[in-house]
Amino acid sequence: MNVLGDILSLTIIFTVPLLLVALGGMFSERSGVVNIALEGIMVIGALVSFLYMSKIRDSAFAAATPVLATLTGVAVAAVAGMVFALLLAFASIHLKADQTIGGTALNMFAPAFAILLTWTIQGQGQTAIYTPPWARISPTVFGADLQNLNFFQRVFLKEFFITTPLAIFILILVIIVLYKTKFGLRLRSCGEHPQAADSVGVNVYFMRYAGVGISGLLGGIGGFAYALAAGAGFSATVSGYGFLALAVMIFGNWKPLRIVGAASLFAFFKVISAMATAIPFLPSFQKISGGEYIYLMVPYVVTMIVLAFTSKRSRAPKASGIPYDKGAR
Amino acid sequence: MKKSNTNILKNKVSAFFVKLPESHAFRSIMASVISIVIGLVFGFFLLLILKPDRAGWGIYRILFGITDIRRFARMLYFAAPILMTGLAVGVAFKTGLFNIGASGQYTLGSFFALYTAMIWQWPWYLAILAAMAGGAIWGALPGLFKAFFNVHEVISSIMFNWIGMYLVNLLSINTPAMLDRLVGNRTMILVNANPSAVIPKWGLDVAFQSNFMNIAIFLAIIYAVIMYIVLNRTTFGYELKACGFNRHASQNAGINAKRNIIVAMVISGALAGVGGGLYYLSGIGQYLVERSLLMAGFNGIPVALLGASNPIGIIFSALFISYLQVGGDSLQPVFAKETIDVIISVIIYMSALSLIVKTVIASILKRGSIKKHAKEEKQ
Amino acid sequence: MSDYVVEMLHITKDFPGVKANDDITLQLKKGEIHALLGENGAGKSTLMSVLFGLYQPDGGHIKIRAKEVKINNPNDANALGIGMVHQHFKLVEVFTVLDNIILGAEPAKAGFIQRSDAKKRLEKISKQYGLRVEPDALIEDISVGMQQRVEILKMLYRENEILIFDEPTAVLTPQEIEELMVIMRNFAKEGKSILFITHKLNEIMAVADRCTVLRKGCLVGTVEVKNITKEQLSKMMVGRDINFTVKKKQIGKGNKILEVKHLTIASRLHKNNAVKDVSFDVYGGEIVCIAGIDGNGQTELGYGIIGLEKAASGDIVFKGKTITKSAIKKRETEGLSHIPEDRHKYGLILDYSLEENLVLARYRQKDFQKGGFIRFKNIRTYAKKLIENYDIRCGQGAVTKVRSMSGGNQQKAIVAREIDKQPDLLLAVQPTRGLDVGAIEYIHERLVEVRDSGRAVLLISLELDEVMNVPDRILVMYEGEIVAELTPEQTTVEEMGLYMSGVKRQPRFRKATEGLR
Repeated sequence: MNVLGDILSLTIIFTVPLLLVALGGMFSERSGVVNIALEGIMVIGALVSFLYMSKIRDSAFAAATPVLATLTGVAVAAVAGMVFALLLAFASIHLKADQTIGGTALNMFAPAFAILLTWTIQGQGQTAIYTPPWARISPTVFGADLQNLNFFQRVFLKEFFITTPLAIFILILVIIVLYKTKFGLRLRSCGEHPQAADSVGVNVYFMRYAGVGISGLLGGIGGFAYALAAGAGFSATVSGYGFLALAVMIFGNWKPLRIVGAASLFAFFKVISAMATAIPFLPSFQKISGGEYIYLMVPYVVTMIVLAFTSKRSRAPKASGIPYDKGAR
Repeated sequence: MKKSNTNILKNKVSAFFVKLPESHAFRSIMASVISIVIGLVFGFFLLLILKPDRAGWGIYRILFGITDIRRFARMLYFAAPILMTGLAVGVAFKTGLFNIGASGQYTLGSFFALYTAMIWQWPWYLAILAAMAGGAIWGALPGLFKAFFNVHEVISSIMFNWIGMYLVNLLSINTPAMLDRLVGNRTMILVNANPSAVIPKWGLDVAFQSNFMNIAIFLAIIYAVIMYIVLNRTTFGYELKACGFNRHASQNAGINAKRNIIVAMVISGALAGVGGGLYYLSGIGQYLVERSLLMAGFNGIPVALLGASNPIGIIFSALFISYLQVGGDSLQPVFAKETIDVIISVIIYMSALSLIVKTVIASILKRGSIKKHAKEEKQ
Repeated sequence: MSDYVVEMLHITKDFPGVKANDDITLQLKKGEIHALLGENGAGKSTLMSVLFGLYQPDGGHIKIRAKEVKINNPNDANALGIGMVHQHFKLVEVFTVLDNIILGAEPAKAGFIQRSDAKKRLEKISKQYGLRVEPDALIEDISVGMQQRVEILKMLYRENEILIFDEPTAVLTPQEIEELMVIMRNFAKEGKSILFITHKLNEIMAVADRCTVLRKGCLVGTVEVKNITKEQLSKMMVGRDINFTVKKKQIGKGNKILEVKHLTIASRLHKNNAVKDVSFDVYGGEIVCIAGIDGNGQTELGYGIIGLEKAASGDIVFKGKTITKSAIKKRETEGLSHIPEDRHKYGLILDYSLEENLVLARYRQKDFQKGGFIRFKNIRTYAKKLIENYDIRCGQGAVTKVRSMSGGNQQKAIVAREIDKQPDLLLAVQPTRGLDVGAIEYIHERLVEVRDSGRAVLLISLELDEVMNVPDRILVMYEGEIVAELTPEQTTVEEMGLYMSGVKRQPRFRKATEGLR
């Protein structure tokens, strides 16, 4: 039971970054820009926010109000991610560059830049930026007994960061914005039929900038959430979570609620693979070594199988990936 | 008689220089050069911000890091695998596919080469063929998914990169005979396992005073030339490019577009696989069982972009990227060698804009020629 | 004091290489229906895009209600009361009718869309003008005629007083066209002013008060419709008398070339079959035309015959051999040629040179390759021959990039390539779409040449003029079925319209479902 509780607990905290980043990717694609740079955006978000967090690590502000301090970290991650994403927006919207190539460049840039910067700040070879202890909210805050957690507490409180409730809040916000507001309607029209949007006076370029900007914002926060969930800290990588989030988005058919489902499924497999040896009821592949690699493969293999079955029916935004040219109509 | 001949020659030469700026190749090269310059300038400013006092030294190291013949040999050594992955990405580009999966194909190629060399004791030339097969299989998969399920190759290549890496790790760990007994997390030194599998040096190691030197780079160049001929001189290349430009029209002309997508990905994967083979069969690198993707595959992307997907251009761009990287290694410990990756990523970013760069060049040249014409008319 | 609501004065618009509008003046009176007539490429769409704020003019100015204005974007146009129904509908397929109508003019409180308010308003407008729609239906689920209605409601919802209709009848049945004319007259009666872009003379005669004619970017003149004849108008449009009829040789029916038997093809757009149990024959020495309103299965039928779509059931027999399952390559080497509907998508590789495109279907032949290596010299010679014989105009000869050629010359290149293969059957799908009269005449002559030489042509066309003049036999398709076989000499446009819109059906073509138990 305890193991199950731990698995679910970890699944939740790894769902958070996947969910946020996939929602970000969704905004970008729904506005018409394929954002393959999510991985790089996560790295930049995590990098800048963790540098900030380590800066305020011992400050009185953090000691007095750790939750607020973490939230300022979130804000820093969001801004950093957004600024970085605008590089993609500029190239693909204004200059009509190839969106995948631009994204690939950003993905290559981010981790290299992260190493360069952390070495300069922390000294040569010091890649890891450690998580301040106050970033994690201890179950004791909610009156739980650390030695004696019940199942519910184990699942929801054992590993608890402010990013978890934040993600739920963002999810609700995203659904409302996308379907209930003027902005959402216009954004979606740009990803489906930009000429139609243009003909009724919607500024397609602006909407696409907004879509990519939001994806950077959510991607940055996602990077922050990943680095928190990863445990010790941030070491210039998000281990392919950005790419996984892209798969989650496709799996979720560009719809927020389905993305929640896809994100938790993927997170679950990731956790299983990491804990394979500790889980008694799973086959431990005793005859072969390196069984964890089998579990590590599973999410990707599952994605491919699902893509094979769903891609014929999948509803990608129609104009996604196609630069919008005002002249051509 | 003689005079008129020289005149004709003169006319031809001047005609060449008049036509040059308008030619496609010239514009591509100019676009690449501009991308490189911007990348390097960006790198310099980055160094300037990080450590102002050492920036000058740093950029000098990057630009002139290859000071002796040994370093030159290292450059050739590292150029061979990225030349192959560059070809892989470039050939796919020509067919309208973005093969971001060269890393996975490279990894599979490496494993096939090492396995056949160590376990089956194959000689190097057969092991390279095995590498080709390994890469081809891993390239075929995204091709099949694209052709039959309409899954975008970028997404599936990314997935297969990870699947391939984990798969190779799993297989390597379970083949103890391949592993270094002392460390356990890497393959053993090739020459100890099978000396005949090491790519021959033909005395080049002596000439270049470096153990890094062997015939791998020449093999890679031969592959590039073959690909150049295939793409530009054969009906097969005509079909591949036709599919790349317009899948529907090709289909209407009786070209089997699905088959071409798969074939292009198989070729692309095979080329990347050879890259892995050339690298590990050189006998210096040992495959590390780690959880990160091999960068040589991703470096194929800038190589292909800088070379404008032209196999001959790719030879030069691979040498250039390798030059930067070998120079970059000598930056440590003052700057992280990742400086080079930053510069390369800026170069890719700029080459994504190559269309813009090309139009800008064209318009500048046009303006120049109009001015010239106006001047001539006045006279 | 003028009574003009719109005055476009001396408008000039340059594009690289072409002067799309050259000193054009157009004045629209309040409450009139004003036709804008011209061939493809005459500059009608450019002029309207200038009025709608999609392009900025390089010269001239615009007055709305006697006040000089600058229209920078569709929003400005909208604010001035100008609305437009575009030729290619600007509708988001996965949105509802309501969302499409309000897009860009959403009633909102603090950013939240007030859909129920919008719906009430839409229902009121619908009732007022008798334009019924289903607000919650998705665009992709409703008919083309209904989609156009949504476009019209979009303008009414924005309370536009100046309405532009860009080629609105191209996708409609003759009966739907009648309805549209009534709607337009009602609008005019209410005091709305209408600009009606078309190249169809009958429609102008039926509905317009005045007509402005453009030719090659220049203004020919503005005339009162009641004072002019159709022939005079057509002469203004083309600049010379045109011959509506095509001369054909008298030759006998040849062998049966193509036999389509109970062919059924699934649709990619919806769950029903696009082509349902279609059977017909084509003989040598005749041009058979498949007529119908766009989207009734003709495109899919063409794809099925050439092999771009699989047949769900039934058979295609070509020169006595069943080719239902053959690859495209096989069909083409057997003597089937195809001039595709969408020349940019299916006909040409725009980034290849002209010579590379001219051998697109033949590069495997011995003349052009040896052991898999291309024989560039032979290709060049062959390309030069075609360029000369078919009068293809291109800047740099055989090496011209096709992308840089004009639409008419691109189409000539395809026609040259497909006809020069000496096919037994030429499948020509909308071969004259978007071309000017000169090019249309040229292509019709070539089709007739193929027929006169004893070979067969299967023409699929949406243009009524073409349907009435070019073929020897007409097959009318409606909702995937053939509903009538007609001879051009013995039928009228009106009769054909009844078949095309499913009102009538010849007894020998009873409904497919009736045959099933």
